[in-house]
Amino acid sequence: MLFCAVMSPRDSTGPDWARSTAPGRGGLEHVSLGQSRFMTPGVAPDPRGILLGRYGLLIFPTLEGVVSWLRLYSAESPLDELLAALEISQVRTPLGSREMAVRIPAISSYVVDRAARCALLVGGATYTGTAKHFVKYRDDRSPYGYDAADLTPLPPDASIMVHGEDFTQTYARERDLPLDRLLLRLSRRRIPGGADLRPDERRELFLVVAHGLGEGVIRYLWRNRVVGRVGLVTPERKSAFDESRARVHLLFRVQDLPARILDLFRSTPGIDIFRPLTENVAVEVGYAHPIDLASCQSLFEPSRFFLFWGQRDQVDTIAAPLELSGIEHLTRLDIQLDQATSGDTLQIAALDAVGVPLELAPSLNPSRRVVGSLIPLEQARWLKRLIYFLPQTSLRGHRMALTDRGILIVASPDVDVIPLGTPLAEVAPGLLVPLGWDLVPRVAPDVLARSLGHNAGLYTVFPPSGAAFQIGDSALAPLERRALARIEIGGAEVLDARIEPPAEPAVVNEPVGRFALWGFRAPGRGD
Amino acid sequence: MGWSDLGELLERFVLPLVSGGELVVGRPIAIDALGDLEAQIPHVTPQLVAVDEARTEVIAELVVRPPALVFEADELCLAACVHNLLFLVHPRADSWAVSTSARMRVLDTAQEMAARPLSQSRSRVLARHGLLHNLFRLTRMDTKISWWTGSATYLGQRPPGRLRTWRSVRRVREEQSVASYEDLLGTVEVAPVVTALLRRAPLTQLLAMTRDGPPLYWEDAVFLLRDAELARAVAYRSLRGSEPRQVVAAPARFAAAFEQMLERAPAESDVRAVAAFLVHLNALLVVGEAGDREIGPRSPLLSAVLSPERAGQRQRGLATFFSLPAALAQIDPRLGVPPGVATDALLADRWLRHRAQVVEGVGEAVIETLAGRLRRHLTAVLPEHVSM
Repeated sequence: MLFCAVMSPRDSTGPDWARSTAPGRGGLEHVSLGQSRFMTPGVAPDPRGILLGRYGLLIFPTLEGVVSWLRLYSAESPLDELLAALEISQVRTPLGSREMAVRIPAISSYVVDRAARCALLVGGATYTGTAKHFVKYRDDRSPYGYDAADLTPLPPDASIMVHGEDFTQTYARERDLPLDRLLLRLSRRRIPGGADLRPDERRELFLVVAHGLGEGVIRYLWRNRVVGRVGLVTPERKSAFDESRARVHLLFRVQDLPARILDLFRSTPGIDIFRPLTENVAVEVGYAHPIDLASCQSLFEPSRFFLFWGQRDQVDTIAAPLELSGIEHLTRLDIQLDQATSGDTLQIAALDAVGVPLELAPSLNPSRRVVGSLIPLEQARWLKRLIYFLPQTSLRGHRMALTDRGILIVASPDVDVIPLGTPLAEVAPGLLVPLGWDLVPRVAPDVLARSLGHNAGLYTVFPPSGAAFQIGDSALAPLERRALARIEIGGAEVLDARIEPPAEPAVVNEPVGRFALWGFRAPGRGD
Repeated sequence: MGWSDLGELLERFVLPLVSGGELVVGRPIAIDALGDLEAQIPHVTPQLVAVDEARTEVIAELVVRPPALVFEADELCLAACVHNLLFLVHPRADSWAVSTSARMRVLDTAQEMAARPLSQSRSRVLARHGLLHNLFRLTRMDTKISWWTGSATYLGQRPPGRLRTWRSVRRVREEQSVASYEDLLGTVEVAPVVTALLRRAPLTQLLAMTRDGPPLYWEDAVFLLRDAELARAVAYRSLRGSEPRQVVAAPARFAAAFEQMLERAPAESDVRAVAAFLVHLNALLVVGEAGDREIGPRSPLLSAVLSPERAGQRQRGLATFFSLPAALAQIDPRLGVPPGVATDALLADRWLRHRAQVVEGVGEAVIETLAGRLRRHLTAVLPEHVSM
């Protein structure tokens, strides 16, 4: 089991027993503001003038130093921004001593400043570089950083060389330690008073409940009106002999768990409570991971859900997203099948058909909405005049058909029908009768439609006098198309009034001669 | 060619710099020559009026009443500085006849020219923006001609006609490429001078934050946020684009600069102004979605830019930008919610959905960390002093 401890600070700039002066002499030069040439390959000044390579390299004497640094750094800033190029390696000096190296991307000098400050606190040293040569990162004595005084080639077995203030050290890489493996191996720490959760911390919690307690917990939560969802989870067996992990749990996701229930569950054996840190990571209540897991969220696969146990010191993974069911559907049902059901058996007798003619009769029902109108042909002139006064919505909302029985006008639901002729109401879709009248006998609309041969593409109209008639839906045309006579339109020339977008400024270099700077004087100098 | 005639400099370099077109780069302008050029200002009125009108057109897109602009020594120095910086990428400036010390002399001259007093005057800032607004859009057409026995490259120059003759016999091939701001003014050598230049024209830098450029120092630019008209122009310009990553590019850079500002020792009033501006940008994103019925309960913009799968590719400052309202709400609720959001039920609902989605996307730890950093700079407000 690994443990986290803050290392006592030590003078990281002085020579260490494990560091040898071979193969180089060592020695650094202070970088000055505006300096543009450097001995160290792959470094350059950033906009603040601080010397920076592509990476920062942190050297720690032990793994505890690395963990302490990760803990400190993740508490201040997200590790996610470093993960793209973060590497933790165990390295070996030529004398055989082992140290730990953490390589981070030097996104900006602010990031490396923070990393260096945290590293110094836990006894580490910070360097910067790009490939194999890393120079000491800036400190108070040289605020713009350091550059190597001289460079020697690396021995064949070395992979990196760090240049300190008065030493040069080579390291050979022994093995890499992936951060995700490290995270899963670290033990959780118990937090004093960490089990007393604030209301906002209780907004969503996970409960891992032993299978036998499941029904009782569901019933208890349901009675107390706690919103929750539940699912059955089985931790994956690592081997056929892994008997201890072959337990089946119920996993609850509960919302706004009252404090009294939380206290009860905490003291109940078989119920463990977890607090979600991210979408797919939860840590047992009362414990905390040494490293802020929310700051390295991208390390956790979205297809897995991670449960970090505190007391048991293990990490369970579950296939994500969690498919849970509402607890209200899992409460116990009382079913009694042994009692006989009581009731009467009913029969339906067939009726003889009675044939009566269909007639219009004054309606006893409240008046329906008017959907159309049947205008006699002699009122066509009035319709033409009215069209001039109709707004565009009305023209578009009406459809009309000219028939030998009159002009049939049908309006869409959002406009009022033209107040001419006999207003028509709809007793069934497409079945129109005069307003205030009804069809008797009052049979169901579908029965009526079937007996009339009426279907979806037809309008069947019962005029106030005379026999009913049918007209196809396709015969009705929008009134705005029927309203216009043929109009002669002359052509017009279209003028382009657009303003040209501003041109891009493009640099053109004039010939300036071979000695363009002949006689050019610097400001404040006489030369 | 030297620039001894101000009229010619204005016509061939300054006017194209302002209104676009071909701007001619010739021999560098010495500090001593500035005095002679400045003395000619009263005698080149037609060219000056053309430049001032072009600048007024540029500024009219930002403010309702552009101030009266008069080209004077300040603008002349800044234009000469840009010219000298562009000379450093002239092919002749890289030849054997130009030593490193000679290049340093040009660079020092440009630095001297850029060292104009910093100004917080609205009209001065607008005038400088009118002159330098195209700085990030500068391009140069480079032509590479290769024929059967050799090749030649012409940087911002037209290749001689003799090289193009007998194209098929000599197997002439012509390739053209465009050098952008990064190649012209983004090099390590000239970057400090460009930074100094843009500190004199903070409005130009704020309006061009969607593009690459030197880092922003909010301390130099925060006064612009106190001018409602300019702040509004900056806010609307920074949210341009249709693709989600494009929309949040400038806000993310603003927030990254804000993070760096918190590392220094800024005045509390400055921190408050920048924080309020970033919260306002958050509100604009909410307003953009509030009236759209096709958008579901989850914001597609936040889902795209804060998705856990792309956490590693997030732009710097993006998490801070979206976490800021929640972090500020813990310290000073007046800053956490822009005024007016609560009065519109639709907007308030969308605002809350955004905040909840941000908590899901970035995690509470990030918000807590940001709140911790803000507490070092902001004085917390007692709950009874908060009037919502």
